[in-house]
Amino acid sequence: MNIIRINNLQKVYGQGLTATYALKGITLDIQQGEFVAIMGRSGSGKSTLLHLLGLLDLPTAGEIFIEDRNVLKLSGEESAAFRLKELGYVFQEYSLIAELTILENVYLPALCLHKDKQYRNRAIELLEIVGLQDRMNHYPNEVSGGEQQRASIARSLVNQPKILFADEPTANLDGASAEVVLELFRKLNQDLKQTIVMVTHEPEDKKYVDRVVWLKDGLIENLA
Amino acid sequence: MGNLKLSFFLAYKSIIKGNRWTLSMIILVMSLSFANLILIPSLLSGVTEAINGQQIDTVYANIVISPNPDKTYLNHVSQIENKLSQQSGVIGVAAHLNSGAFFEYNWLQKTSPQDKSQTGNWNVIGIDPEQEIQVTTLHSSLIAGSYLETGDRDKIVLGIEIAGGEDASTLSSLTLGGAKVGDRVRLTFSNSVQREYTLKGIFKARSLSANTLAFISRNEMASVLNTVTEVSVFADRASQLLVRTEKGVDETQLISDIKNLGIDGQVRSWRDYGETMGGVVSSFDIMGSLIGSIGLLVAAIVMFIVIYINVVHKKRQIGILRAIGINRSVIYGSYLIQSFLFAILGIVIGGLFFGYGLMPYFKSYPIDLSIGLVSLVIDPVNVRNSIGGILVAAVLAGIIPVVNIVRQSIIKAIWGN
Ligand SMILES: Nc1ncnc2c1ncn2[C@@H]1O[C@H](COP(=O)(O)OP(=O)(O)O)[C@@H](O)[C@H]1O
Ligand SMILES: [Mg+2]
Repeated sequence: MNIIRINNLQKVYGQGLTATYALKGITLDIQQGEFVAIMGRSGSGKSTLLHLLGLLDLPTAGEIFIEDRNVLKLSGEESAAFRLKELGYVFQEYSLIAELTILENVYLPALCLHKDKQYRNRAIELLEIVGLQDRMNHYPNEVSGGEQQRASIARSLVNQPKILFADEPTANLDGASAEVVLELFRKLNQDLKQTIVMVTHEPEDKKYVDRVVWLKDGLIENLA
Repeated sequence: MGNLKLSFFLAYKSIIKGNRWTLSMIILVMSLSFANLILIPSLLSGVTEAINGQQIDTVYANIVISPNPDKTYLNHVSQIENKLSQQSGVIGVAAHLNSGAFFEYNWLQKTSPQDKSQTGNWNVIGIDPEQEIQVTTLHSSLIAGSYLETGDRDKIVLGIEIAGGEDASTLSSLTLGGAKVGDRVRLTFSNSVQREYTLKGIFKARSLSANTLAFISRNEMASVLNTVTEVSVFADRASQLLVRTEKGVDETQLISDIKNLGIDGQVRSWRDYGETMGGVVSSFDIMGSLIGSIGLLVAAIVMFIVIYINVVHKKRQIGILRAIGINRSVIYGSYLIQSFLFAILGIVIGGLFFGYGLMPYFKSYPIDLSIGLVSLVIDPVNVRNSIGGILVAAVLAGIIPVVNIVRQSIIKAIWGN
């Protein structure tokens, strides 16, 4: 079953002489339970695509369906609620709230769903899964970059999202930490059937994923 | 957790774990803004009170009893005095017997009757010195000589603006031109009685209106007025009775109590007479609220800048909160709560600084202005307005930058392009 369907998605930044055609018409399906990597050179439109899929930005043209729902029709409030419940994000770096402990960061999205009790336990479970159970009462600046990324992953999963988005989650990590994070993604995908869409520009990351979507100059590159 | 609770949680964590310096700066700015906001109006209230205090101390006392409009004098004065002094809250009662008079100094040196120099028309008040010193304070403002005593008949005490000389601030030609203690002055009262007096003392109070008063004893004034009628009716008459009250007495209550005594006369607060001063005082109020509004504006701008910098600093964080789907109202709420708390802390600390720092300081070291010693007087209305003003300013300063950031796209907030 397709969890994501996008049709002729376009994104233009700016207008007139300074307009940048970041996406020039992307059509793509992503299956439930798939682990997809979006690859391509810098500037090829990977982040732009991920932002549009994650409802963080609006396309210039095209359609996005998530579980057959036309998500571009959602209002601002509805979109926020949708992101909170159905989507998870792992950003490149520093995306934790500095004034909250690791545990508080992880269950913050759950607090917004007014389901504190069970989700606090779930947050602790997730921290165990990502191997941070000993760090949960630390503040973000007291743990390493790799640990922060793992905490972000735990946070992105706390509301049991349908899709997990990650934009170069290992770009700022050393090799060993990067491997831990990618293994974690693979495990989540295999054990929990978590759908994951990850942007990366490391060719070696291919081995972790089910499928690679190559982008070039705002278009999907067919390498077949 | 409800949205409000979540806002509180975020605000709490942000204050507890946030930058101590930023927090201290914000609260310092809030405190000083608040203290500044109540300082100027309190100072102006202090000036007003000093002026009023002078009026009470030197000219009117607290309550003035005057004859009914159809009469010139109050009768049976000693009887009224008795009744008044039995009222609780009354410290003293002074009877005044007044008459206008033409004053002359150095009249023997004059060569022509047309020469009007060193003369003038002023009001003369006949007093019982012992009563008077309980009621007004002019006796303590003497700059030369001494005050009247019971039994003085040919003695006069003058305000500096009548006596003239270097210490007077009126044009010399409008005074007696420098009469000295021991000199003789000649008075021609409005009933044409003419008498000479020895200048016994000169006083200089901080109130200009007091400094144009002249005093002789009431016995003497009664005898001046009596010469026409022969019968000594004036001994028990007065033009006015001044009543000095204890501090903190409910003046309106006391006035109505006195009215109930059935005195044949009008009972009024000094305020009804201090009217000329009223004009000055109300223009002070206008000035006060003007300075107050400017102060509030400046405070609001400063708070706005400080909070704005703080919030702009959190731009990326706000973007991330929105990206992960945190409701806008939670974000607004958390910043509103923070600003509100800053304002409350500012008000409390600024208020304590004002109440336990500035007030006692000014009490110990009042500002010596020509109108009197000025210290700070708190005006509850002003304090209430200042509190409201600071709260509104803080809330606006806290919410406007957040609304601005939330209005931007999430991408912009997080990645800044
Ligand atoms: N906010 C923006 N405003 C203008 N141009 C942008 C913006 N974001 C991205 N771009 C441009 O769009 C193109 C695609 O960018 P991006 O999606 O970030 O590529 P990638 O993530 O593959 O490096 C680039 O040419 C980039 O310069
Ligand atoms: Mg990118």
